[in-house]
Amino acid sequence: MQASTPSTPIYGVMAEFRSADALLEAGGRAYREGYRVLDAFSPIPIHGMAEAIGQADKKVQRAVLAGGLAGMAGGFGLCTWTSTTEGIGGIMSGYALNVGGRPLLSWPAFIVPTFETTILFAAITAVVSMIAFNGLPLPYHPVFNVERFRDHASQDGFFLCIEAADPKFDAEGTRAFLQGLGAREVNDVAH
Amino acid sequence: MSERLTTASFEAPAGVDNARSRAMVVGAIGLIATIAGAFGSSTQFFQSYLVAFVYWTGVALGCLGLLMVQHLSGGAWGLMIRRILEASAKTIPLMFVLFLPIAFAGLPALYEWARPDVVAGDAMLQRKAPYLNATGFIARGIGYFAIWSLMTYLLTKWSQDQDGRPGAPYDKRFGKVSGPGLVVFGLTCTFAAVDWVMSLAPHWFSTIFGFLFIGGAGLAALALVITTMAQLSKTSPMSGVFEQKHFHDLGKLMFAFVMLYAYFSFSQFLIIWSANLPEELPWYLTRLTGPWKVIALLLVFGHFVLPFSLLLSADVKQNTKTVVPIALLLMVMRAVDLYWQMAPQYHHGAFHFHWMDVTAFVGVGGLWVAAYLHFLKGRPLLPVNDPYLREALASHGSH
Amino acid sequence: MTRHNVSPYATVMDDSQLTGRPIVLAGAGPYGGDLEIDEPLVTGGKKWTDVDRDICMHAEQFPTKKWWIAFSVALTGLGVLVFALITLFYSGMGILGVNHPVGWGSFIINFVFWIGIGHAGTLISAVLFLFRQQWRTGINRAAEAMTLFAVACAGIFPVIHLGRPWFAYWLVPYPNARGPLWVNFNSPLAWDIFAISTYGLVSLVFWYIGLLPDLATMRDRATHPWRKAIYNAMSFGWNGSSRAWRHYESAYMVLAALATPLVFSVHTIVSFDFATSVMPGWHTTIFPPYFVIGAIFSGFAMVITLMTFMRGYFGMKNYITLNHMESMAKILMLTGMLVGFAYSTEFFMAWYSGSEWEGFVFKNRAFGPYGWAYAIMFTCNAIIPQVFWFKSMRRNTLVLFIVSILVNVGMWFERYVIVVTSLHRDFLPSSWGMYALTAWDYAFLIGSFGLFFTLFLLFVRFLPVVAISEVKGVMDPKVARSIPPRASAAPQEA
Repeated sequence: MQASTPSTPIYGVMAEFRSADALLEAGGRAYREGYRVLDAFSPIPIHGMAEAIGQADKKVQRAVLAGGLAGMAGGFGLCTWTSTTEGIGGIMSGYALNVGGRPLLSWPAFIVPTFETTILFAAITAVVSMIAFNGLPLPYHPVFNVERFRDHASQDGFFLCIEAADPKFDAEGTRAFLQGLGAREVNDVAH
Repeated sequence: MSERLTTASFEAPAGVDNARSRAMVVGAIGLIATIAGAFGSSTQFFQSYLVAFVYWTGVALGCLGLLMVQHLSGGAWGLMIRRILEASAKTIPLMFVLFLPIAFAGLPALYEWARPDVVAGDAMLQRKAPYLNATGFIARGIGYFAIWSLMTYLLTKWSQDQDGRPGAPYDKRFGKVSGPGLVVFGLTCTFAAVDWVMSLAPHWFSTIFGFLFIGGAGLAALALVITTMAQLSKTSPMSGVFEQKHFHDLGKLMFAFVMLYAYFSFSQFLIIWSANLPEELPWYLTRLTGPWKVIALLLVFGHFVLPFSLLLSADVKQNTKTVVPIALLLMVMRAVDLYWQMAPQYHHGAFHFHWMDVTAFVGVGGLWVAAYLHFLKGRPLLPVNDPYLREALASHGSH
Repeated sequence: MTRHNVSPYATVMDDSQLTGRPIVLAGAGPYGGDLEIDEPLVTGGKKWTDVDRDICMHAEQFPTKKWWIAFSVALTGLGVLVFALITLFYSGMGILGVNHPVGWGSFIINFVFWIGIGHAGTLISAVLFLFRQQWRTGINRAAEAMTLFAVACAGIFPVIHLGRPWFAYWLVPYPNARGPLWVNFNSPLAWDIFAISTYGLVSLVFWYIGLLPDLATMRDRATHPWRKAIYNAMSFGWNGSSRAWRHYESAYMVLAALATPLVFSVHTIVSFDFATSVMPGWHTTIFPPYFVIGAIFSGFAMVITLMTFMRGYFGMKNYITLNHMESMAKILMLTGMLVGFAYSTEFFMAWYSGSEWEGFVFKNRAFGPYGWAYAIMFTCNAIIPQVFWFKSMRRNTLVLFIVSILVNVGMWFERYVIVVTSLHRDFLPSSWGMYALTAWDYAFLIGSFGLFFTLFLLFVRFLPVVAISEVKGVMDPKVARSIPPRASAAPQEA
């Protein structure tokens, strides 16, 4: 199914838990145990889950701030340049035009389009960065090889997957560890 | 959380008393200095006094408005600050007493429409005389204060009753007064803003002015609430109650008001600037000339750009060390803003700063803060018998 | 913190059992007092799997007869719009009622009307999200869809109002073929381009981002490989990992925070179209907040209208409960009062301004030849919503439905009053005139409703109409999640 050649026999081990709280608890314990390459899956967002397994970051917020500032500069720059300059050497030329006796640099009026471009750029950045940081679109992912996951992950199942790429991973030991956390069932995840 | 706490568990700490005494002293010094100044120039006295009066009344009114909003909307943020809002709203009768000197002695010094010689030579003021006259001004003023005091009395009294009745169900009267109360509040505040502030420039008019006044009052009120919370959270009993999430919620609300106020101000400015009409534009021309222009730029920066940029960050909103300086900055900027709106009218646009502008502000403010802390001290700091308190104390944000 | 062993929510099994009042648990309060908790947002003792089934059902089965009837009515309306458009392009603006002096007619009225309708969707998704009002989860998806379709309807009108719509792209800021001539950034009409296109785009991405997890649910429920593949592509392969949720929630939060000032700005800029002019009755500083409140008012009325259909015809009563309807009725009443407040302030200020023109315009509005329109506006917007002071009225779906329609009639006439009365009698009595709608004006109005409902019914047919992952989050886990433990040991997959 997958073109790349896997270096490990399986992708990882997956455990299913009964509730969001159980998953949160299990994820936290796995992280404290030393597992680092792991992921939790749930049909609804769980408050504190990313923090519990060491995934918390503010990448989206930072990207949005940068996008918003770019939109602000771009919007105000566009208005100012087109309304106040006669252009630079024929390219990028503006058109300074007296409109109703208002000053060429009518900053009160320019604030309005500037506001809109700020919001537009920030919003687009939010979506694009979310998609990029999540690695979407993702046509194939090994976790879907688990039947329980396919049928329940987006509906009512809570799953924790420790990947074989984790340095601490050891198929037998990790399986036993997850069983010990009170998992409903534990499955190997094929590549 | 099974242990049974009583109203005594949330008595205000002793620090409140000390702060009240200090505020009293500061207020007394300020007022004595201002009154002494009045012998020099009674006109200047009233001009400085009016700004201070409008400012501190606005803070109390903002708290009354938020009090009604939180009774209607519910939510943890409102329960946590209800007692602070109530204490602040209770100062409204005091502000009525401070209104009397303006009403009965200060009108000619302050308002052109109250000077018969000016009105005699001004057709527009004669046309507006059915509204802009001394009797109407005083009667309306008494009416506003009567309505505000009644609403405050009812809401605080029922809240006090609740303290004495553990296990009582939620009192539906809060909502029943707050709903219509907010409408009446909006109307009275709008007309108060027209009477007290807008009519300083009797030819000028702006229909958004009531919104501006209410927005500014709400902003000052939130800044006061956040500052008070931060002080209270330093000691028992509130040290374990006010948490980061509460500061976060209120910080967000303050952030929203910063934007809302900027939105109202900018809308008013842009509409008047674009139309460029001779009956409206002079108000801005005056305020964008000479030193007033410097103050206007200071306002753009200190009232909007700086607090807006800082409050974007969730960490800044949650941390009392960072959010309190912003709240204090906003309280100062509200005062500067009112001064910028009102004072240019006194001297036909000329810039004129007087030491009484400061002493009157400090004097009225000291007195107001002392009264506020007195009322805060008088009651437990949380409505312990409110049936929603448990949810409020335990509430986790969903995001 | 341990709460109660049995969920009080389990006792509320049906929409009709809701009271709109909190459930009281005697003595369970923090300091010995009572504890009051709100009634459940989802009734019917639903489990998570029921939610998936109930909501995805409409997209997974062939449409019902009811849907076909509704869709054919809507499609007929859309046909009217297409026919009117063709006639307009062929014959020109002369078929409409616009004239001198009333150069802004029903197209501008419809534009402002539809833009206003859209506002409630963003408000429900963004503002209620920021204020943590959990009841939004039942209605936000449909309300956001409503926003998109309303913006689509609104977008048509300024373009065809241009008279030569094939030059509409001249409004877009770019250096065009006639030399370096740019749009006039001082003009509110150019601001509109920025505002409406930003609003449309941001609403679209906000709505789509919200759909991602639900599209994944539809994918996982799908049995046909083609359906599965299509929904997988549409969901971008969403797998619900905590990293994905983390970024998703950040993005959603940020979008909500951006959409809130955006939604205010859009109707503010629409109001600038009027307010930055010097026309009496248009040039007034209260217009920005007054337009925004009016927009929220009419938008919520439209949400109530649509939700009545969703409850009645699509069996959504357990997700869009009477409590949801009551919350919206309260917002309708509050915004109705604010609108009435603005009407009164305008009158006072028109007198207080001392300006002859202002005074005349307002007298002419209320008592002039268009006094009937003013009376409809005032009655429908400021007086009728006052029935919601009574709880029984707020919970009566028939009353809600009728009032919601009347409010939108009133709001359409509000724009009619603003546009027509200021223009038809301006400064110079010799240039006064009257304005009357022609049959084609009505055709465009009816046609825009046809377009709106066609789009909405297609949405109901193909996509999850309630935000599944959000509704699950506000259900009590004790009721919604009771999976029996599996006894056998876990099978191993190699």
